[in-house]
Formats: sequence, C-alpha cells, structure tokens
Amino acid sequence: MNLAVTPTSAKATAILNHVVYHPLHGPGLAWAETAQTLQHHLAQYGQRENWTGRLPALLARLANSALTGRGGAHFPAARKWHAVATAGSAPALVANGAEGEPWSAKDATVLQLRPHLVLDGLAAAAESLEAADVVIWLAAEATLTIHAVHTALVERSAAQLGDPPIRVVTAPHHYLSGESSSIVNALTTGVALPAFQRQPAAIAGIHSRPTLVQNVETLARIGLLARPAEITAPAQLVTVVSQAGRFVTEAHPSQTISDMVTAANTKFALPELSHAPPQAVLLGGFGGAWLPWTEAAGLPLQEFTLRQGGHSLGAGVIALLPQHSCGLRQTSSIMNFMAESSARQCGPCTFGLPQLADLFDKLASARINRRSLRKLDQTLALVAGRGACHHPDGAVRLAASASVAFAADIDSHRRRGRCLNGPGRPWLAVPRGGVR
Amino acid sequence: MTDQSSTTPTTRARLRVDPIACDGIGMCAHTAPGLITLDRWGFPLLAGDSVENADGDDLRELTTAAAACPRRALFIERSR
Repeated sequence: MNLAVTPTSAKATAILNHVVYHPLHGPGLAWAETAQTLQHHLAQYGQRENWTGRLPALLARLANSALTGRGGAHFPAARKWHAVATAGSAPALVANGAEGEPWSAKDATVLQLRPHLVLDGLAAAAESLEAADVVIWLAAEATLTIHAVHTALVERSAAQLGDPPIRVVTAPHHYLSGESSSIVNALTTGVALPAFQRQPAAIAGIHSRPTLVQNVETLARIGLLARPAEITAPAQLVTVVSQAGRFVTEAHPSQTISDMVTAANTKFALPELSHAPPQAVLLGGFGGAWLPWTEAAGLPLQEFTLRQGGHSLGAGVIALLPQHSCGLRQTSSIMNFMAESSARQCGPCTFGLPQLADLFDKLASARINRRSLRKLDQTLALVAGRGACHHPDGAVRLAASASVAFAADIDSHRRRGRCLNGPGRPWLAVPRGGVR
Repeated sequence: MTDQSSTTPTTRARLRVDPIACDGIGMCAHTAPGLITLDRWGFPLLAGDSVENADGDDLRELTTAAAACPRRALFIERSR
C-alpha cells in the first residue's frame, strides 16, 4: 500500500468530524461506527515523526500548543512531561483509558474509532522519554474498547511501525479505577484504590519509578501534534448526556456549550429540548458543577477561559436537566453514588459522604429544615480537601453547586414541602456505585 | 543590623497527615492540643499554617506530635 499520502489539511488536525452516539448506560459503545484502519489513519493524518532523542523539540510543541490533560484535571502536559524527564531515567508510561466517569464516553470513542492516533501519541511519548515500560490501562468490562485496541496493535505490528513494546492491562471498572494514584497503586501492588502520594507519580510512581499517566484523549492530541502539521489551541472532546443517550463530539475553543448541545440535537431530537431550553447542565461529571442554562449556554469549551469564571470542563460531560425536573432529586441520586463509590480509606470521605447523601435525600424529599441546611454547610467544609484523592472534593463541588443552582427549589422544598418542578424519579438514571 | 544573606536560610515546617494511614485514634490531638483538634468523626484538623523560620523548639513540638501517632500517619513537610 502507498503510505506516502498527503493528508487533507482540515481533517488532519481533528479527531472527530461528526457526532458519535453511545447508549446511556454501560461502557461506551460507539453505535454503528467502525475503527479507523491503519491505512485510513495514514491517509487522513499522514506519517508521524520519530521522536527518539528529540524530547526538547516535542516538549516545545506541547508548550506552544498549551496542551492540557484531558483526564479531568487539565494539567499542562509540557510541565508534567518535564517533571518526568528530569526525575530520572527509564520512566514508566501509562495510557489511561479506564474512563471511570460513568456518563463520559469520549475515551471509549477515541479508542474505538481512532486507536491509531492514541497509539501514535503513546509511541511518541515512549520514544522521546525513553520509557522502560508502556501500559494501556483499560476497564475489564469495556470489551469493544479492548478489542479495538488489540486489533490496532496487531495492525501496527504487521506493518512493522517500530512501536515500543506495549502491554494492555485491564481491571474491574469502578468510579476510581481511572484515578491516577489508583492506577499507579494497581500496577505496583495490584490494589486499584487511591494511594497517598508524598511525591507525585511523575517523580516516584510505579515501583518508585518516574511515571507519566496520560489520558487517552490527551495522547490522541499528542499524536496529532507529533506530526509535521502545526496545531495551536487544541480542541476538546465532550459527551452531551441526555435521556436519549450520550453524544460525543469535538469542541473547538471558540465553540460554546450551546453549540455542542445543538450538534447533539441535530443528530437526535433530545427530549430535554423538546418544548423549551434545558433548565440546567451538569458540567464536568459527577464531581462537576450544576449551572443554570442561562449561565451555561454561552460558555466556551476552553479550560483556561472556564477557569477564569470559576468553572471547569472536568471530564467533558455536559449532562442536561430539562425544565420541570427536580435538580435536587437528580443531585441526591448522584450523591448516593458518590458515597457508595468512596474507597473508604480516609475518615472525612468515609463518614462525610454518606452524611452528605443523607442530607441531599432530605432536600430532595422536601423534609429539609434550616438546621439541616446549616449541617449541610458545616459538613461540606469538613469534607473538602481532606482525602488522599479528589473524590470527596468532587462530591463537595457537586453539592455546593446544587445549593446555588437550585436555590429556589430548596426554598420551595423547605417552606412549602413541595417542589417547584415535578415530583418523581431523577431525570437521568445513575448507576450503583461501589469500589469493593 | 545583621546581614540577612549571611544567616541560615529560612525553613518552613508544616505538620501533615496521610489520611489513608490515619485511623482517627486521636493521640495527636491529645498530645498537642494547640496544634491539632479532632472533627466530629475523630479525624485530625491541623492548624494548617506552616511555621516560618522553624527553630529547634518549633520543630520539637511538631516532632512530638508526629511521634504520638500509633499509625505513623503524621509527618513534617519542610520547605525553604
């Protein structure tokens, strides 16, 4: 086959050019789509460069593009790489494809549809950093994703692309199975639960070796950067979550939350938009923040800009709450999940999250009084920042944002014992939690 | 007036807890009530402020509090 094909410029810098549908529940499953073969990958994106011995040049590209991690924390990639490179030799490298966030499907999308971009980014990292161990970390239940990765690895091996040895490791899926310290802990001790890190993993991770853990979407963006075409201001993959399903699409920095919802609605008429705009969105994931639609619609999907307004893209989830649905009921169901999903290793999380869930159950069922509202504030203050990982912080962020976004509902629940909106179940079903 | 640049560099010392190792036993608060209080579940709330220009007495106080923990969950973080 002729591999020396010039890629078409517009498509050569994007991961997706359409909206990808996934059912609402379970691991991501890109519906009626196929993985891009190695041949098509090379036709669209061209050859990647070899990065052995060229770390400074690749670091410069990461810095110039201001690429941040797409795992939820949005930490500058160049800074993380620099820490790993200066910490010592022969680092370990992990591609994090576990996608612990239940409503997110962007990582499943990129692994199932564009595996070669992820593997190109991983190879570029392994070559430039001279990695001694390269791992792809996946959820054991994500059978389609695992199949797509293995198929791509076999294609590349047959084409003799010269990739470093890569091992695929799977572990049972839970909310914290994609948490960075859980992965390092699992690959060191076999226990996939968060660990308290006196030093960051970049300095001392798997078996105390410098370790770079990078989300698979980040690696796909690095796969794009590791090519002759210049890329500035990288885009973001987001998952629009509706009762109709999950819709993964690519957002360019100037595009807004409203743009992404419109894109999803064009693919499938979303019930949350049927008679009126949505009431609110949950931005980020279960540990993200509720925003009223009026505040959310015009927000650009660019982390730097969002942070200036006190917001964050998180795991890229945009979950819709329609008018006439009780946001407190929805939040209560998520808070129960967060309590169930605690690793139960740290006191404030173990004891605090169930108490927060109880308080939200009271809020949702209109049994709330002023004393309980004070207890809610006190408990939020006692839980934040006091765990080994950021799971309790996410629960606190969610609860605090619900108190603000649904303040009118809280008032109605408290004073009149009933909701401004309909009674009944949460709009979007939340899975059961539990890590062990 | 002493020349600052010729004296010993400032050391900042802070007491920190490993929340996974901590079992909420509470010996720390019992030993150093000025530094540590316990929350409603029995887990430590540290003063939070680091001690600037930590001298021998300051470090001794922090070390005693850390040594009290049967789980060795407390440690002193130093920085310049």
